[in-house]
Amino acid sequence: MTALSRRALLAGSAALVLQRRAFAQPRSYGLQPFEVADGIWMIEGRREVFSRENGGDIVNIALLATDQGAIIVDSGSTVAMGTEIRAFAEQRLGGLAATINTHHHPDHWFGNAALADRPLLALAETAATCREYAQDYAETLYSILGSWISGTRTTPATGNIDPGTSQIGGRALRMIPLAGHTSADLAILDEATGVLIAGDLVFLDRAPSLPDADFATWLASLDQLEGLGSAGVVPGHGSYHRTGEGITQTRAYLQVTRERLRMAAELGLTPVETMAAGPAPEFAGLGANPEEYLRSVVRRFGDLETGALPVIGSA
Amino acid sequence: MALLTDILPGAASPPLLTGKTGPAAVGGDAFDSGMWPSHRQEFLGDPAVWRNDPAVTVLAPGAAEDSSHVPFLIDATAVTRPIRRIVVTIDYSPFPKAIVFHPGRALPLLGFGVKYEVGGALRASAETGAAEWLVGAAYVSALGGGCSAPAAAHQRPDWQEGFGELRARLWPETGRLRMRLRHPQDTGLADGIPAHHLTELALLDASGAEIATLELHEPLEENPALTFLLPPDLARGPVIIHARDNLGYTFEGRVEATP
Repeated sequence: MTALSRRALLAGSAALVLQRRAFAQPRSYGLQPFEVADGIWMIEGRREVFSRENGGDIVNIALLATDQGAIIVDSGSTVAMGTEIRAFAEQRLGGLAATINTHHHPDHWFGNAALADRPLLALAETAATCREYAQDYAETLYSILGSWISGTRTTPATGNIDPGTSQIGGRALRMIPLAGHTSADLAILDEATGVLIAGDLVFLDRAPSLPDADFATWLASLDQLEGLGSAGVVPGHGSYHRTGEGITQTRAYLQVTRERLRMAAELGLTPVETMAAGPAPEFAGLGANPEEYLRSVVRRFGDLETGALPVIGSA
Repeated sequence: MALLTDILPGAASPPLLTGKTGPAAVGGDAFDSGMWPSHRQEFLGDPAVWRNDPAVTVLAPGAAEDSSHVPFLIDATAVTRPIRRIVVTIDYSPFPKAIVFHPGRALPLLGFGVKYEVGGALRASAETGAAEWLVGAAYVSALGGGCSAPAAAHQRPDWQEGFGELRARLWPETGRLRMRLRHPQDTGLADGIPAHHLTELALLDASGAEIATLELHEPLEENPALTFLLPPDLARGPVIIHARDNLGYTFEGRVEATP
């Protein structure tokens, strides 16, 4: 082979690589932030589970304007999503002050990689569970999202959030550590507007995810959130609302779903039959159902079955 | 119909999970492909007569939410001939043979959960008295790692606490027996954790005579839960559950319907 033809060949293969890269380039999310209260912006995710079609655009993001730029609450499912959120903060809100992750589910912090030159904050327990599950989540999301998640390095929060009121860039935020959706769920009350950023403790018209849930703890957390009397709620998934309907609907979903699984266990059903029966009819039409219900049976059936099966022997 | 899906109020119609046959039952490839010819030879003794038959229904979710606990239900009650045994194999698993179920005097229905290492089909092969095999299957997509990850119990220093706890209940009106046993079900593939898993389980009647038996292997889930279907004359109990593991531990309990 002559030097010339070898070079031609190499050039040819380089061109192929470039073409393939161009093809694999993630599409844009086209995120559309809108202002829900004075200085509080929201990006509303689709009411779906992760899929190759939505690229992980399934979660709500809040941006709070401050003197030092935006505080981003939850960073999305991929570095590309984090990058788009950041671009809005830079262009419209004077830069990036800090990022807060409400809990350890990956749609709430996998965008951190695009925001890591500024403080990344979370409850200590959340940062620990992010580190623990980072690899599992990355493998799962790479297989579901494909090219959307290219280049996403898992970047858990490094700064701690303490309970009580914090001042960030002149904005007073009441940090409320709760639990129930996961082992650590942060809710944030913006003192100036009275808006509650509820994380995944509150869902609206989108089925709550229960893989790490504790029903009783979650219900107690909802009571606490209700007691705040907030002026408006940014839920983790679903629309911004000025009433208590997100809390009410989430509470009803948890109570009805727990009762459905308990009844199935009391009637002697297998998890497979319980799945086949589907969610309670009043919640069958929620976004992300029946997928979330099916996950709930796999993860939560055993908890409720324990009470239905008497102990008859021990080693 | 042996399934109880409809007794849950507001049950979806049609149900969300239904039995499939042909390529749809094994993930899209031909039913007779992949590991199946080799598993058929190794675990069924290379039978001359076998077929994919809708009378052997295997139900499972299409995707594993948790590779360590993938729930299945085998219902072969529609098979008209007596069934000697049902061999449960997993197409792509480091331990392809999961369970051999000898229904005996129980009906040929079995609920259980297994660990999945990668996505694939689970097949239930029912040997009838006529020396033929009727085979059903269900495909589950899974990311895997279920067989090679340590049992969740090992994350706790007190994992042996509660080991061997046996729970069970009979429902005479539906003939169901459901039981759960606290056991780590270690496959031996996780670093530094030797194999420790159940090898056999039997249901006995009050006189000690066998009702049904199971031969159990590594893929059975941690803290396994099992569902059986008993005929009316046995469904009130008492039923004695007896199990043994590969380290020689035995587990026993007696369950009776509450009046």
